[in-house]
Amino acid sequence: MATYLTKRVLLIVPTLLGVAAVVFVIMRVIPGDVALLILGGDSAGQIDKAQLAAMHRQLGLDQPMLQQFGTWLWGVLRFDFGTSLWTGRPVVEELIGRLPLSLELAVLATIVSVLLAIPFGVLAAARQDTWVDYLIRVISIGGLAIPSFWVGILIILLLVICFGWGPPLEYTAPWVNPWANFQQMVWPVVTVGYRYAAVTTRMTRSTLLEVMRDDYIRTAWAKGLAERTVVIRHALKNAMLPVITLVGTEFAFLIGGLVVTETVFTLNGVGRFVVDAVAHRDYPVVQALVFLIALTFVVVNLLIDLTYAWFDPRIRYR
Amino acid sequence: MSIQFPLEQTAVAVREETRLSFGEEVLKFARTKPLGAGGALIILAMIFVAIFAKTLAPYDPYWGDYAAQFVRPGAEHWFGTDEFGRDILSRIMYGARIALFVGFVASFAGCTLGALLGVISAYAGGKVDLLLERLMDILLAFPLLILALAIASILGPAVHNVVIAIAIPIIPRAARVVRAAALSVKENPYVEAASSLGASWHRVILQHILPNVMAPYMIMLTAQLGSAILTEAALSYLGLGAAEPTPSWGLMLSGSASSYAEKAPWIALFPGIAISLGVFGFNLFGDSLRDILDPKLRRKG
Amino acid sequence: MATRIRRHQTLCTVVVLALLVGAAIATTFSAGQAADTPRRGGVLLAVIGADPPSLDPHQESTFANIELVAPLYSTLLQLDPYHYPKVIGDVATEWNIAPDGLTYTFKIRQGIRFHDGSALTAADVKATYDKIIFPPQGVRSVRKNAYTAVERVEAPDPGTVVFKLKFPSASLLDNLASPWNVIYPKKYLDKDPNYFKTNVVGSGPFKFKNYTRGSTFEGERNPDYFIKDRPYLDGYKFFISPETSVRAAAIRSGRAYIEFRNLPGAEVESIRKQLGDKIAVQETPMTGQWGIAVNNTVKPFNDVRVRKALTLGIDRYTMSKVLYPLTGLKFVGALMRPGSDWAMPEADLEKLPGFGRDMEKNRAEARRLLAEAGYPNGLKVVLKNRNVKLPYQDFAVFLIQDWRKIGVEVEHRPLETAAWFSDGQNTGNFELIVAPAVEFMDEPDQFLGHYASGSTQNWGRFSDPRVDDLFSRQARTLDPTERKRLINEMEKIVLENAYYMPGLWWSRNLVHWTKVKNYVAPPNHYTNQKLQDVWLSED
Repeated sequence: MATYLTKRVLLIVPTLLGVAAVVFVIMRVIPGDVALLILGGDSAGQIDKAQLAAMHRQLGLDQPMLQQFGTWLWGVLRFDFGTSLWTGRPVVEELIGRLPLSLELAVLATIVSVLLAIPFGVLAAARQDTWVDYLIRVISIGGLAIPSFWVGILIILLLVICFGWGPPLEYTAPWVNPWANFQQMVWPVVTVGYRYAAVTTRMTRSTLLEVMRDDYIRTAWAKGLAERTVVIRHALKNAMLPVITLVGTEFAFLIGGLVVTETVFTLNGVGRFVVDAVAHRDYPVVQALVFLIALTFVVVNLLIDLTYAWFDPRIRYR
Repeated sequence: MSIQFPLEQTAVAVREETRLSFGEEVLKFARTKPLGAGGALIILAMIFVAIFAKTLAPYDPYWGDYAAQFVRPGAEHWFGTDEFGRDILSRIMYGARIALFVGFVASFAGCTLGALLGVISAYAGGKVDLLLERLMDILLAFPLLILALAIASILGPAVHNVVIAIAIPIIPRAARVVRAAALSVKENPYVEAASSLGASWHRVILQHILPNVMAPYMIMLTAQLGSAILTEAALSYLGLGAAEPTPSWGLMLSGSASSYAEKAPWIALFPGIAISLGVFGFNLFGDSLRDILDPKLRRKG
Repeated sequence: MATRIRRHQTLCTVVVLALLVGAAIATTFSAGQAADTPRRGGVLLAVIGADPPSLDPHQESTFANIELVAPLYSTLLQLDPYHYPKVIGDVATEWNIAPDGLTYTFKIRQGIRFHDGSALTAADVKATYDKIIFPPQGVRSVRKNAYTAVERVEAPDPGTVVFKLKFPSASLLDNLASPWNVIYPKKYLDKDPNYFKTNVVGSGPFKFKNYTRGSTFEGERNPDYFIKDRPYLDGYKFFISPETSVRAAAIRSGRAYIEFRNLPGAEVESIRKQLGDKIAVQETPMTGQWGIAVNNTVKPFNDVRVRKALTLGIDRYTMSKVLYPLTGLKFVGALMRPGSDWAMPEADLEKLPGFGRDMEKNRAEARRLLAEAGYPNGLKVVLKNRNVKLPYQDFAVFLIQDWRKIGVEVEHRPLETAAWFSDGQNTGNFELIVAPAVEFMDEPDQFLGHYASGSTQNWGRFSDPRVDDLFSRQARTLDPTERKRLINEMEKIVLENAYYMPGLWWSRNLVHWTKVKNYVAPPNHYTNQKLQDVWLSED
């Protein structure tokens, strides 16, 4: 177990380095000069070459790429992600302000989806090929198929047209003012959560079906155990592992959902921040964000793999 | 004696099964998997409309009739017109072309390239495997939308660029699945015996590995198709997909959708329905396909 | 005993009755007055579509900056909010211009204090303008080229500022009224000229309260403001919300009372329908136009016939009818805003290519010119654009359809702002590109500077010595009639050669709840943002 753990942890390092390098290169390959943007604003202002060159020097953009990369990496090791090219403030500061909202959205969406997915997934598997199964499958596939930003737009419109109601425009933490927080978050959580729920429902259903075919389950049937005992105590426990894996791998999918949802509802979260930063060619912000997302993703996967290995010894000896 | 009887029966049953014609197979599919059949119907309808759009569409999807802006759905324009007086039904029909083009090409390119890499990785093993796995891990660490976003930013909004932007994140996902399947086959003693007997590597791959990765490959393909259409819509919504005046469903939903939704709800309604229906169809079909092809899910006995 | 209580009771009743009657009279009185006298108090809630990169207006040119910080500062001169484009003083009380036009002397009001308590004197004005006109190394000043006529700024005494010019400048006074030229305290500028990118020390009607990036910006009333009794509001709060539909929803639901920039026509309609007379919409023409820059240095656009054909193919009058309800693009005009003092008379305008009313004739002529230039079967072009729906994308959709009618097939390439700007301004990597021109007032130097050789705003990279000559002459001509003549001459040359193709001038809808009183929308979203005279009739 220890060797497996060490091996897996060590493998993270080259992956993360690779991610950092890819982001670095991509950001600098995208056409568009951040210095120009800063100097120009949203209407074409008068900019002379000297000003542009001075801005490049100020932002550290005139150094060779490798040197820029090296400087950045060294900073990351000390938790310093540099300063935003667009605002001139430390990236960490910009991130911390936006993190609570995205975190809350992600956590709530996951909770909602799991609460919905497990009972429905179990029901669909237990009643495979009956109308209950079909109904649940149709609803969850339908949920998957509908573009989430469309749903978001429709929700906002319906609320405003029918009730003249709009959500609060600034974020208040749930412990400060739970009602205001609820008003702002409920619709984005629904928009992100229903898709996540759909995916998880299907996964629960199919892994449960797989597990129920396993021999030891058939033995349980043969022994005459009640259906509920078989399903819940034996099958579900084993089906949970892949589902947990799914929750982890779909975490990336959730991040994507965050980006779109935060844009539609104009929430001041990390997702929208990434899109803005790419648009502004704000390299330090994009690098930091993508790196952190990748880090979280990799760590989450690692934890899941470890959980898997803990429960299924066969995997450790791969 | 009692042991032989079921065996004969099984043998006969197997032979009978392989004698079913294609038409009968289709009917069997429709009977046992009605949902999947429904999905297949939707897909076929979409393909039909896309191919014959020129004849079916009542108007030129690019042509704006300035005297007919925001017309309600009615006799003249079944789905109404948009802010420029362009017929929405025609745009939806031509939009099917783009959705299918992006879906098929991105999914096919991504899955095939990924499958290739997966097979190579599994078969070659050792350093090659390690290197490819690292590369795939790196690409996988990026959330799909963000990677697609970055690529689309580099290449610029255009349909062919969207295809590339969507295909690239698919590659590592397909590679991972196919590699796992190929690995399990490779460890099969039957295959080891074949290669130790001197069968060439391409023979081993073609005859043994490929047939076994076909199932997960096809499942991935259909799964990613629906997802590709959605990603295209999201990218167009964010302004990184197809450019005006292309009749892309996702583009039709961006901007105009919210601004005109009250005045002319049909502008936002029909493209949204089209996208949902398309993805719905692909997912239904893909699901049932997986039920059939995945040996673990097949009903035994 | 009983009698005394009874008497007390009567007394109490009389007193209470008297109070009630008095209160009733007082209420009716004040209710009657409320309609006329500004009510004090309340916080103005507004929505805005973006965050500014920094808080220093000298270094920014986005509405996101000026809308947020204008109430916190004062300027030397300002545009009269009620009589555009008249220039009045803010910090300056009076001024005179020497007969030779080379010396401008301003008297500074006494008793103005910055929010940190220190006094505002001529030294601060001089330090501010030194930063704008002669920025130190590493400090950007976006508008410094508007002041090339200024040789130096002097502050002979704490109450006087003098501008010495190298040559007479017709536009200097207007340019000094720029809302971007906010006055900073000298002592902070001396320490760090970039101090105000992240800090606020102003002398305006409001003090800085709080800024949460991406979310909110708040200011609160300055009790020591140098204009007595102002401001009326207790404070203001901006919510930052990039999606137009969310901003519109915010106004509809009452979470915000005003949007200072523009809301598209469709949203305005819906808001009006839902809120009726609780809503006021001020529609004003905008000092901005959308047009197409042509790359005059590449084939075939270096051929004047091709350029002329393209501009002839645009039916601007129909464009106005079609695009106005969608985008607000409305007015057909030349390079200076139609309806302003500098506008070209319609009769002259219609003679220029692309502005004639007979489209049949125009299209035939366009085809003929293309054939003559070697393209009898039409032409394929690439139109680059900014990736923003309103009005950029809609503008392009119309153009593409019009150009199809003369056989020109257009490949439309919307780019993200960064790439669009880079291709247009920096590298000139385009054939045709949508290029707007938006300024804070109808100022010829600012608008026409786009067409001078070598200007970074001259995306089309053309060079015509006659144009340059007329441009520099009009900049120094103090007589308005003569100046206008020179300006129209210059426009004629640019348009006859189609060096640049103007499209339409913009009109904007400023939407607010009627409880927001005394806000007059100027013809752009940069001026009149101080909010010092605005009041709320109810919270």
